[in-house]
Amino acid sequence: QLIDFQWKLGMAVSSDSCRSLKYPYVAVMLKVADHSGQVKNKSFEMTIPQFQNFYRQFKEIAAIIETV
Amino acid sequence: MAGELESCKPLSGLLSGLAQDAFYGHPGITEELLRSQLYPDVPIEEFRPFQAKMRGILKSIASADMDFNQLEAFLTAQTKKQGGITSDQAAVISKFWKSHKTKIRESLMNQSRWDSGLRGLSWRVDGKSQSRHSAEIHTPVAIMELEIGKSGQINPELTSAANPPVFAEEDWP
Repeated sequence: QLIDFQWKLGMAVSSDSCRSLKYPYVAVMLKVADHSGQVKNKSFEMTIPQFQNFYRQFKEIAAIIETV
Repeated sequence: MAGELESCKPLSGLLSGLAQDAFYGHPGITEELLRSQLYPDVPIEEFRPFQAKMRGILKSIASADMDFNQLEAFLTAQTKKQGGITSDQAAVISKFWKSHKTKIRESLMNQSRWDSGLRGLSWRVDGKSQSRHSAEIHTPVAIMELEIGKSGQINPELTSAANPPVFAEEDWP
């Protein structure tokens, strides 16, 4: 079960492999409880296009849940 | 021998090979492989500093993510340097960067992504359900399956973001 959803919008500026990175990304931290109630953290990063798809899916779910 | 190195045909191939090694992380692209494939008549002692120079130039361009103005200025400066490149070679490098820039940049971005990424997402909405204990459970539930994993990893972690339907909690006869 989803307990919490945290997000962060970051901008990668530079790295050892590329001095001029300049890319924005969305980092998400999900708190999920399993059947026993044990809470686990899952984190992941998305590029902006990935995030836009992610957001679109949620919008779709929200629209469908309204009709159920 | 210097004439061999100045010839532009194999330079494009060399830049490709160097990119495979430096940016895409393909294993097995050795100096000797590149030399024997592209500059077979050039001895290794001459080839070595030459490919190092080209690799250095390519890395500088990629690291700065040069736009075309910066690229022009940079390559022109390289042609004026002692032990630099010829203007023909500059043209080959310019052409190579223009066609590979996006792919190389993406590869470098991936190298800087250490957290897991979202590799896939699927979902389902469940409507009303029944169980032994309650006649009807009204709350619709959205169940999501997120495929979270490092880029290039074969086994992603699967996460359900919402509880599976009621029968997991209730006694199921």
